[in-house]
Amino acid sequence: MSIGVKYLILASSFAVLAISFLIGFWARRKVTSPEAFIGGAKIFGPLTVGLATMAAVGSAFAVVGVPGLVFSTGNAILLFMFAAPAFVFGYLVIGKKVRALAEIGSVASLGDLSDLRFNGHRGIKLLLSIMLFIGAAMYLSAQVEACARLFGNLFDWNELVIAFVIFAILIGYTVLSGEIGGVLTQAFQGLVIVVAGFIFTASFFAVTGGFGPVLEVIANTDSGLDPSALTAWGSLPGAYSFAWILLPALGIMCQPQVLTRMTMLRTPRELPKLSLYAVITNMITGLMVLAIGYCAIYLVAAGKVAIDHPDTAVFKVADYLGISAQLFVYPAVLAAALSTSSLFLSLAGTIVSRDLPGSLGINITPVRQVTVSRIAMLLMGLAAIGFAALSGDMVAILGTYGFGTLAAATFPIFVIGLLWRGASSRGVMLGMLTALATTLGGVGIEILKRFNLSEFAWPGEVPWYVFVLAASVTVTIAASLLDRAWSDDQLDRRVRMALDL
Amino acid sequence: MIETFLIIASGLLWLLMVALAGAGHWLAGLYVLLVLLLVYAILGTSHKGRFDLRLVLFPTGVWLLSWAAAFGLAEYFARAYDSGVPAFTIFGFHPSFAAIVILFWIFPTLLMGFGFEAVKDRWLSQKQWDDFLAGVHEASPDKQDDEAP
Repeated sequence: MSIGVKYLILASSFAVLAISFLIGFWARRKVTSPEAFIGGAKIFGPLTVGLATMAAVGSAFAVVGVPGLVFSTGNAILLFMFAAPAFVFGYLVIGKKVRALAEIGSVASLGDLSDLRFNGHRGIKLLLSIMLFIGAAMYLSAQVEACARLFGNLFDWNELVIAFVIFAILIGYTVLSGEIGGVLTQAFQGLVIVVAGFIFTASFFAVTGGFGPVLEVIANTDSGLDPSALTAWGSLPGAYSFAWILLPALGIMCQPQVLTRMTMLRTPRELPKLSLYAVITNMITGLMVLAIGYCAIYLVAAGKVAIDHPDTAVFKVADYLGISAQLFVYPAVLAAALSTSSLFLSLAGTIVSRDLPGSLGINITPVRQVTVSRIAMLLMGLAAIGFAALSGDMVAILGTYGFGTLAAATFPIFVIGLLWRGASSRGVMLGMLTALATTLGGVGIEILKRFNLSEFAWPGEVPWYVFVLAASVTVTIAASLLDRAWSDDQLDRRVRMALDL
Repeated sequence: MIETFLIIASGLLWLLMVALAGAGHWLAGLYVLLVLLLVYAILGTSHKGRFDLRLVLFPTGVWLLSWAAAFGLAEYFARAYDSGVPAFTIFGFHPSFAAIVILFWIFPTLLMGFGFEAVKDRWLSQKQWDDFLAGVHEASPDKQDDEAP
């Protein structure tokens, strides 16, 4: 690749950054209060929220990680991408209840929602804050890794320097406009991903002639690629297919990037339209990552491209396709990473400036919350860079860690708590304590295994976060049932009305 | 009472699902997942203690049936052509993966997306939402303070 082309790609990628920055700057005028800054505005329509949700859920996990895993292990990870009906399911099951709670009090964070449902229980809010912080750091680390791969592929820049530059810019526009700017920039970034999706899919058909030749070239060449990877379950143990269906099916509805966006919609009656936009754009992204993964397999099997690390598959394929693909794929990767990162940085800011102090009984003035929030974003950025460096996992694997941890943090509160009035504060708190302890245990074991300090194998090769989720849910239910035998939480009448809706 | 029963059932299904997967029967675990999703779907239609089974049947019920068929066909063809080179393809895909593309992804995604829009009023009518807002307003502490003698 010539230097001129490299700088052209760099310019197109930074154009996405610059436009995002300008949107964030423009959105400042919509921030009329500290609540609005951290997410308390019910002003958006379904198209904006749908695009923003898709972009934040999709993330670099989808655009970089999934094609990499498709290339290296086959179709199993596509099950995660294809579980789009779970978006709609989430809105159907808990959407109106979440949105209804936002009518009862000022809801600018997940902690506020938890306060409403569990009568301001400090322990739940504290544990929720800690778990969200850990999960967000893991999810952000996947974005860090993806950005590092992007610029590393172009210029061989140092990973740490890349991460610091990207986060500096991100924090810049996130602190300017908070969550309002965040939603608008994510919607724009979602649009970039969708456009790249169309271009890449068309390029795939132009190069390979369709999906059939991919199977043929693997079968007929001595490429070393495993043909069984192109069955539904890929070449990984079946437990991964199980986990990668379970995780989105039950986990999408309680991801922070989905929950917080429900509360920002003008009215819950727009949720069906929102879900339609989210799943259609998600399908386009799914088609794109399928095409990239299959294109990588085709090109390597045909001996046209060499891929040394699966996470570089998307870039190697784009480089092969030429400048028209490169000018859209690189910015799409950056857009995907930025959209999720800005959301989780805002989330970190809200946790540290609002939810955590609230859970500890510390009162921070609304104006001061904004300053604390900015410092928290910086700390979160550093935590994400540290986790990416320590774990050394692939982008997609890091993404599933974050996804699983966030689901374990929120499922007891926002799924069980909203579907069952009998979920007690103490029961949920015990469930969350279980989630925290098992998450730390699970991550600890994975890190020990990475450094060859443990040979522990999870039963059936099922990924650790599935056990974490199951433990937190069952402990929540069992403890709530026992708790109900001798006490009963008194719910605000308005909260009962929201749960009855 | 029924809600509590369903939640207890969901907890047991969680345990069964993970136990099956942990014991190596991950496909059976996936079928248990579908039952678990059905339980949450029923709970999600609860309105003032009453469940709307029509809303459970469409679109969610059809979606879950589609996924059940996808899992079955995907496994059948994966076993039938376990060397990875199938005797035929569907849209160029291995038949095992084609079952996933059609019955796990495209059909149920469009079904759920457009189906939800079709049952929007049944899910939450304008009147239900307006009644809720009025009820919240009536029950708000500010309102009660205003009306206090």
